[in-house]
Amino acid sequence: MEVKLDKRYELGVPAQHAWAILSDLESVASCMPGASLGEKTGDNSYKGSVKIKVGPATAQFGGEVEILSMDAANQSLVLKGKGADKGGSSASMELEATIEDTTDGSVLVGAATVIVNGKFAQFGGRMMVQVSDVILKQFVDNFILKAQALGDATGNPETKVGANESPSAESTDELNGLAIFWALLKSWIGGLFGKKSVG
Amino acid sequence: MNAPVKTPEERKSELQGMGDSRLRKEDARFIQGKGQYCDDIKLPGMLHMDIVRSPVAHGRIKKINKDPAMAIPGVHAVLTADDLKPLNLHWMPTLAGDVAAVLADEKVHFQMQEVAIVIADDRYIAADAVEAVEVEYEELPVVIDPYKALEPDAPVLREDLAGKTEGAHGARDHHNHIFTWEAGDKSAADDAFANAPVTVSQHMHYPRVHPCPLETCGCVASFDPVKGELTTWMTSQAPHVVRTVVSMLSGVPESKVRIISPDIGGGFGNKVGVYPGYVCAIVSSIVLGRPVKWSEDRMENISTTAFARDYHMDGHLAATEDGKILGLKVDVVADHGAFDACADPTKFPAGLFHICSGSYDIPVAHCSVKGVYTNKAPGGVAYRCSFRVTEAVYLIERMVDVLAQKLDMDKAEIRRKNFIRKEQFPYTSAFGFEYDSGDYHTALEKVLEAVDYKALRAEQEQKRSDPNCPTLMGIGLVTFTEVVGAGPSKICDILGVGMFDSCEIRIHPTGSAIARMGTITQGQGHQTTYAQIIASELGIPSEVIQVEEGDTSTAPYGLGTYGSRSTPVAGAAIAMAARKIHAKAKKIAAHLLEVAEGDLDWEIDRFKVRGNDEQFKTMADIAWAAYNQPPEGLEPGLEAVHYYDPPNFTYPFGIYLCVVDIDKGTGETSIRRFYALDDCGTRINPMIIDGQIHGGLTEGFAVAMGQQMPFDEQGNLMGNTLMDYFLPTAVETPTWETDYTVTPSPHHPIGAKGVAESPHVGSIPTFNSAVVDAFAHLGVTHMDMPHTSYRVWKKLKEEGVQL
Repeated sequence: MEVKLDKRYELGVPAQHAWAILSDLESVASCMPGASLGEKTGDNSYKGSVKIKVGPATAQFGGEVEILSMDAANQSLVLKGKGADKGGSSASMELEATIEDTTDGSVLVGAATVIVNGKFAQFGGRMMVQVSDVILKQFVDNFILKAQALGDATGNPETKVGANESPSAESTDELNGLAIFWALLKSWIGGLFGKKSVG
Repeated sequence: MNAPVKTPEERKSELQGMGDSRLRKEDARFIQGKGQYCDDIKLPGMLHMDIVRSPVAHGRIKKINKDPAMAIPGVHAVLTADDLKPLNLHWMPTLAGDVAAVLADEKVHFQMQEVAIVIADDRYIAADAVEAVEVEYEELPVVIDPYKALEPDAPVLREDLAGKTEGAHGARDHHNHIFTWEAGDKSAADDAFANAPVTVSQHMHYPRVHPCPLETCGCVASFDPVKGELTTWMTSQAPHVVRTVVSMLSGVPESKVRIISPDIGGGFGNKVGVYPGYVCAIVSSIVLGRPVKWSEDRMENISTTAFARDYHMDGHLAATEDGKILGLKVDVVADHGAFDACADPTKFPAGLFHICSGSYDIPVAHCSVKGVYTNKAPGGVAYRCSFRVTEAVYLIERMVDVLAQKLDMDKAEIRRKNFIRKEQFPYTSAFGFEYDSGDYHTALEKVLEAVDYKALRAEQEQKRSDPNCPTLMGIGLVTFTEVVGAGPSKICDILGVGMFDSCEIRIHPTGSAIARMGTITQGQGHQTTYAQIIASELGIPSEVIQVEEGDTSTAPYGLGTYGSRSTPVAGAAIAMAARKIHAKAKKIAAHLLEVAEGDLDWEIDRFKVRGNDEQFKTMADIAWAAYNQPPEGLEPGLEAVHYYDPPNFTYPFGIYLCVVDIDKGTGETSIRRFYALDDCGTRINPMIIDGQIHGGLTEGFAVAMGQQMPFDEQGNLMGNTLMDYFLPTAVETPTWETDYTVTPSPHHPIGAKGVAESPHVGSIPTFNSAVVDAFAHLGVTHMDMPHTSYRVWKKLKEEGVQL
């Protein structure tokens, strides 16, 4: 199951703050609900994991994240992650993320190709675009909070946020399937009444 | 002792013999939930097996780490291909002359392929341990489309076959090519097409579907290390063949292998083959010396054990301008998945697909089937049909419709024109089949009259001309001929074993009887209908005839139940065994009545002296005498065994008509009427026939209107749960109307042809014909199945149909 995602998110924070977060993999990981970054396995690669919980079932994707390129001049990052879950699923993602300057802040531009195999594709395949939208929305919300905190705390774009620091109230240590379902339901009901859906 | 004398009619009706709608013997236990299925079997010390499966469809196994699983308390063993290698059991032969991996050996070839097994104290521990086995894969490019599989630079799927240019069915010309099989006369067909005034062609895909029986596959293997005996309860449609295969694979002599098929919750072809799960459970039991149970879950069943169909077909007809068919050509690309594990008679890699000239007198024909490997599960079984006959019937019925449309002829008219006529039987088709009997014209007229075909066409005409009509109306008509009862052992065998079947009948001294067969019922009602054949042949009431099947230690050797072969082959064996007993009974009766055999007449349940109704001996009298006062020179006892090797196949046929209404706005289809006339020759139990037809029509409805196994580009099967895979319930199922004609088979001892599969084979193209017909006035000649509301809705949009 392959899904291509092309997204633009208005960040409302200065580009330099946004790039500071984006260029630090640990910070990026801490914005991702349920994600955690493990040991460094190479110059540009880390072990990582994503935990997802749907009701009583918990799945944990363990794998590797590798930075394929980091272009500070263009504020652009390309990374590849792949992993497998013990219950018979595997996933990989290639992501190109760029921070664009705008008059009133910056925009995060993301293009990702996600491939999911196994039970997750079979059970969740048809929901994948919608679920991805919800997860990315949570990611971006965390990202913005973090970038804002960066500005508020020091005003110094060079300062890195510590990996242990809790990024935001919304982030939890696992990606909760019920929360995603709730968000989807809200956006669907919203859609019924003509509101623009989430993401 | 002055009991009223019963009339012959009363005596006959008490037998509940052939023609009687006797209630099913099996149902008493089934409706009380007292069936004994594989999963009901619990043995002392029994362990449980679960399977580690591949999440990717094509990949190299880099590493398997069993340690975390072995560390779980209650886990007895984790086995991989490397553990089976010393036993040479990591690969196994398939019924189609290929090999299949038992556990993936270095590579996985399809999603959910078996990679390792876990044996544990209970099912829960086994499931936990499966998750603890760590497997690393290097993903390889996946091939899903069989046409792409044949491109020169397509990925190599079967590295184990590298350099093999000769397969089990002739030359291989590409690394993903399995075989090319042809029938008919190509040059004659080419000539017919070159000179024909009219030709039509149509490409169609018969989608991959799954038989999806209610009970999934499973077994309990129990090896007794002291006696050296292996007993295995197994959901098998062919227990005797399995015993032969198990003996060959394991080295345990056939006399020490016992396969028992207990109650089976539907097979439909899914339970013919030998699966890795069976082999692994048996090996585990032998290694551990304890019983081991394996039961598939639903996702495993749909994903890995034996799919059906997946034929990409190009059909061509040549005809005169007034619709007389002059020739047929068919080219098929058959997607066989990762291993060629089709269950066909060994010499026929495309089964009996060459029945595709159908009910029509077609002078020349040719077909070619090319088998291809892809990254999908192996299978290719006969899902409630004879071998590849569903595909064949679909093809010819579609093509006749396409031709009718091209010539602007009525569907009934073109069929009438091309039918094999009654007086042409026995008829040899252009592909060499010898059709035993048929009367297609009579049956067609009966159906057209019953449904008032003319009125239906007039209504359709009226609706088409009314722009405000909210529905499209379609009429489907199919006039199919099946070929079942495989089969004559001179042409049909499975792994060298001829496709005969068998029956052993013993009459007990007090006149009751037990009969054992080489077949195995999976819902067909053999325990009911087989007894009826014996009742009519021997005059013993059905009620006191016990029918047993499925235990290889007690039943005579037979090839099993699939391809509608039970009545055509085993049913004949029953009649023949009964006739041997009948002949001996006559000698005993002559002795008891002190007359010559020639002076006796048989009447229902007795031999009587000709011209004297008072002097007779019933079969019960004879049974007692057979044991206690046999005539001099005649051995005591009254029993017989018969192995029946049929001289020919049988050719049941049917005329089906369907009326569908399609909602122009939503694409929802509603089956307004479905009229099924079947001719299965002699009818043994009309009630069971009706039940069989209802079931087959419902499964046909499922295939035509909803079942599919969609794969994405990565080889993920996107429909392997019952949430996605359409299994109709009473809610969706239309109302069926059934009818019949009787044209007995001239070569079958009781004239029966077999019926259980006709409704499936015949109904699928009928639904299709109806849906396409609803769009025919827009120039649509074909639509691939399944006709889900969404797909039909898309077609409505494509054709610009306005509400």
